[in-house]
Amino acid sequence: MPLPNLLRLVYRNIKVNTDPGSLIILIGLPGMYLVFFGYGFSAGGSGTVYLAFLTPGIMSFQSVMAGTVGGSMLWADRRWGMLAQLLSGPFTRLQYLLGILLTSMLFGLGGAAVMLAVAFSLLHSLPTDPVAYGVIFGSIVVGSIFFGSLMLLISALVKSNTAYNSIQILMIFIVNFASTVFYPLSAGLPVVLKALFNANPLTYIADAVRGAYQGHLTALDVYQLLILGAETAIALFLAIRSYMRSDVSYE
Amino acid sequence: MVIAGEHRLWRGRCSSEIVSGGPSHLPLGETNDAVVLAENLRHTYDGRHYALDGVSFTVRRGEVFGLLGRNGAGKSTLIKAMTTLIQASEGRLRVLGLDPTRDGQRIRRRIGVVQQAESFDFTTVQGNLDVYGILWGLPKEERVRRRERLLGQFGLDELRKRRAFDLSGGQKRRVQVAREFMHDMEILFLDEPTVGLDVVMRRQLLDSVRDQVRRGLTVVFTTHNLEEADYLCDRVAVIESGKILMLDTLEKLKRLYGGKKTIDLTISDGDPPRFFGALTAALGAGATVTSNGMSAVILTDDPKGALAKIVELSPALGVQLEWLNVRKNTLEDVFLHSVGHGGESIASA
Repeated sequence: MPLPNLLRLVYRNIKVNTDPGSLIILIGLPGMYLVFFGYGFSAGGSGTVYLAFLTPGIMSFQSVMAGTVGGSMLWADRRWGMLAQLLSGPFTRLQYLLGILLTSMLFGLGGAAVMLAVAFSLLHSLPTDPVAYGVIFGSIVVGSIFFGSLMLLISALVKSNTAYNSIQILMIFIVNFASTVFYPLSAGLPVVLKALFNANPLTYIADAVRGAYQGHLTALDVYQLLILGAETAIALFLAIRSYMRSDVSYE
Repeated sequence: MVIAGEHRLWRGRCSSEIVSGGPSHLPLGETNDAVVLAENLRHTYDGRHYALDGVSFTVRRGEVFGLLGRNGAGKSTLIKAMTTLIQASEGRLRVLGLDPTRDGQRIRRRIGVVQQAESFDFTTVQGNLDVYGILWGLPKEERVRRRERLLGQFGLDELRKRRAFDLSGGQKRRVQVAREFMHDMEILFLDEPTVGLDVVMRRQLLDSVRDQVRRGLTVVFTTHNLEEADYLCDRVAVIESGKILMLDTLEKLKRLYGGKKTIDLTISDGDPPRFFGALTAALGAGATVTSNGMSAVILTDDPKGALAKIVELSPALGVQLEWLNVRKNTLEDVFLHSVGHGGESIASA
């Protein structure tokens, strides 16, 4: 029995995006953060404390990487003619978009699982509470959809390859380092930076995943996840709208 | 579902159809063998200029229908409308009896499209065919069988492990066409598939398409290469500035100019505009002179008389004759003559 259209598109997206170069960027780079930063700083005298702190942060960061995968897929498909080719085939625009988001989500979850495995090999411990895994799973899924929608929105609007790459690199840098992925939110931060940290959706994901991973999920984490859910719905709506209106036809 | 089984004669089965911008006489959906019906189609991208401007035609099941025109004439816009990538601004269109605005996905399940632009996944030639087969829902056994047949048929066997993006332009084109045959279809839309191909590769590709057509496939084919339209198409529509200027079988289009012959003329020295102007006046209404720099194409029903005038005028106006050739009309002459009328519609008798 043939697979439904959506799953065929997901299969294709995974197959054409899992070359060694892409995997090194997607998983190797965050993995190296974990090993070099996590292990390196821990060796500086804090034992494994920083590694345990960084692990959920890097797992959360996978949702950003997943989003960039989605945006890059749409960009590449448009640039290399496959978007028009697929849409002159048996697929609808919505199926194509959902295929990309689902693929991004799978990359996010797969990357987070790899980070968890790397951390286990270094820390020799894992959370035992099934609820923790549920929260981690949900946070990364919603986060992947949020960042995937954001990148799809950008790739639907930006026409130049250089501009798209610059925006993507800048966004990764700001979102990554103005969040609680690498360090906790310090009370001593200037107000503007603190506001940036607090408005950053990656902070919400990192806090929730860390809370679940370390077994101390708070009401604030749940509240932040609800905000993230609302933001994701808005980002998804805008991404679908701009993409459905964009010109995909070939010249 | 369709491309196997039905045998047909190559060429000559289509009756004449003359369309010059007006609506078809056939009510939509009431013909059994019409797979595309267009009535007074118009399309604008900017709200001011019409890329399609009142186009009407039918494509019949099992024929190769050519859309001939210069760059920017409206061929690709028409293909986009028929393949549901854009919705025509005005007019009515039916593809396989379905309305593209409502039934786009149902239409796309039954057609194949080879775009004018490159389109590949970042994988090998074999991988591109495989992925496409998966996208079209082919079971593994069938997918492998088709892939192997097409790799052989399109001369891609030795290239199967190469990345599609690393191939030459002609090789890429063959991969694109071969890939489209991974799935069944009732109509294949080919948008200038031979651009960038050398003569041998072009012939190989056209022969491969022709082989599929012999099995019953309908092909809509855009080109500005008149030789390949002559080689492949049953009927052609000459399109210019979004309008169909002529639509008929190739033989009828060529007969449009009846006993006329074509003279190719190249001169040197002298004043070419003055010479060609004088020649036009001397030949009168029985001939058409289309000049371009030092060359001209003369369409005439009295080639002997025209030659005499050329020989008489050239020394008088200080012109040296470099090349003079009399030949039968080709599709190119028909095309040049029709678009040379600057958009005026011409219908064959």
